[in-house]
Amino acid sequence: MLAITDLHASVGGTPILKGLTLSVGAGEVHAIMGPNGAGKSTLAHVLAGREGYEVTGGTAVFLGQDLLAMAPHERAAAGLFLGFQYPVEIPGVSNLLFLRTALNAQRKLRGEPEVSGAEFLKRVRAEAQALGLDMEMLKRPVNMGFSGGEKKRNEAFQMGILQPRFALLDETDSGLDIDALKVVADSINRFRGPDRGVLLITHYQRLLDHVRPDRVHILAAGRIVESGGPELALRLEAQGYGAIAA
Amino acid sequence: MRELPSRREEAWRWADLRLAERLRAVPAPANDALPDLDSLALVRPAARAVLAGGHAIESAGRPTHPAPDRSIAPHPLADIAAAEALAGLVVDVGEGEDGGLLECVHLGTSGAAHSVLRVELAAGARLTLVETIADAEADHWSNIRLDARLGEGAELVRILRIETVHGLASTRAHVALARAARLAEVSMIASPAAVRAETHVRLEGEGAEAVVNGVLLASGSAALDVVTRLQHEVPHTVSRQLWRLVAAGMGQASIAGGVAVARHAQKTDAAQSLRGLLLNRTAAVNLKPELEIFADDVACAHGCAVGEIDPLQRFYLESRGLPRPEARALLMQAFAAEALHALADPELSQPLADRLAGHLGALA
Ligand SMILES: Nc1ncnc2c1ncn2[C@@H]1O[C@H](COP(=O)(O)OP(=O)(O)O)[C@@H](O)[C@H]1O
Ligand SMILES: [Mg+2]
Repeated sequence: MLAITDLHASVGGTPILKGLTLSVGAGEVHAIMGPNGAGKSTLAHVLAGREGYEVTGGTAVFLGQDLLAMAPHERAAAGLFLGFQYPVEIPGVSNLLFLRTALNAQRKLRGEPEVSGAEFLKRVRAEAQALGLDMEMLKRPVNMGFSGGEKKRNEAFQMGILQPRFALLDETDSGLDIDALKVVADSINRFRGPDRGVLLITHYQRLLDHVRPDRVHILAAGRIVESGGPELALRLEAQGYGAIAA
Repeated sequence: MRELPSRREEAWRWADLRLAERLRAVPAPANDALPDLDSLALVRPAARAVLAGGHAIESAGRPTHPAPDRSIAPHPLADIAAAEALAGLVVDVGEGEDGGLLECVHLGTSGAAHSVLRVELAAGARLTLVETIADAEADHWSNIRLDARLGEGAELVRILRIETVHGLASTRAHVALARAARLAEVSMIASPAAVRAETHVRLEGEGAEAVVNGVLLASGSAALDVVTRLQHEVPHTVSRQLWRLVAAGMGQASIAGGVAVARHAQKTDAAQSLRGLLLNRTAAVNLKPELEIFADDVACAHGCAVGEIDPLQRFYLESRGLPRPEARALLMQAFAAEALHALADPELSQPLADRLAGHLGALA
């Protein structure tokens, strides 16, 4: 589904990703773990097309398309979803209005008909209930006045409404208490499916107790330095990153 | 002839009055072709008055040649309007009556056109006044004076909508509020041309409240210049001002937002928020809070800031599927729409919000 080959990227002229190679097939869930500053969020932003994150080499192919040549909204319409490590607050823009506009913009680009107001609300109610989000809160401006945990649940909520093909979740588990972690993990497990892929970026093993990955990769200093099965995450938890970074 | 103000004067430094100078001695003809008037209405159906080139075309209220309120302090453009107006409108609403909604459309045709509006609201009276200034296809100077008096507990909702493309639109509104009277004013000024819009409010009775908000969208090579002055004359009055200025292209949007509190006007509660949004580096926004406070027991919160569209906010929207122009338009709307909150009635705020969205979409 997503094949990244020898990716190099710089931020503000500083090379951060230095030859990253990673491939996630349909139906798979992969996890990327790594120390702070390793470049995990940089990878997420590069894949989503953030300005200022300059690709200096390598390729990323998503569902047969050259991901790096597409504008950010085209990547979204192609089915890529980025769950932000730090969801952005947008005063004055209602969460639901924004989400409906985004959903219909994606559908338009894919040549699909608009979702009716009734259909949209039906999806919203179901997803909000599953994530324990209050409808009144969802009408408020995007992420404004949300607690850290609410922001993360709102990312999962948006994923549930937009129904992407591939979810790239950047530390969606951080800042969640154990109950919220289970709720978010459930939403990722519901999202899993044979035509879908997931790349979980996480700093801790605990999310992986709830969402069992097919593969685990360790990202350090801008490259994947080790890959393995779920047991790799456990070993990392026991030994710490010190051993790898060295 | 009366002198036009010069840019060298501090109060006029952001105004572009070149068309006033050029057209000062060229009265607008009476028979210019008119565009479709219905498309100019903000809210339908409403009582309507139309002045084209300063000539009355259609009238609601009392079309006359109104005498200005002589008690108001002199003003260079408003005094020219008073001296040279050919037509105008008087609206009297009697005690406790609801004057409903009145739309007054000023259509700039060519040449100079002056009009005077007088609004008198008796105690407990109400009126919604929508003033629209638009134009046809030629340069013009449309110069309008509004003198309004609100009696005890009276309420005026005023919308000023300026959507000119060619000319110079200049307006000066003077609104005096008696005890417990209320003014809610929202301006939407979207133009690539020249505009000078002044609102001068005198809070003369205790418990009087004024909200004076607006949005400016300067495009092309616009010079949009707003001046407000909310003058608290007695204790226990309230004023709120919220202005959002968006500038694109080579446009310039400016505001001098004034609050004046007289020496004995204790317990004045005044707040002012002026913010600018620059869409590119060739555009300009000027924000100038002017606070003259002579009483000591006063709350006067004020804030003023100019910024650009936040790239991270834009990226967040884009990453969800919004094309860049739509993401920008949504952020611009979020920035500007706050000014419309002063209109409690969705029948008024919705059409204005729709017009605003249309203008912003065109800039994004
Ligand atoms: N916007 C930025 N400008 C400059 N440097 C950045 C920026 N974002 C991240 N970096 C740097 O890039 C490196 C990788 O950061 P990041 O991708 O956020 O790491 P991680 O998510 O793995 O903790 C760090 O050294 C960080 O300081
Ligand atoms: Mg990170």
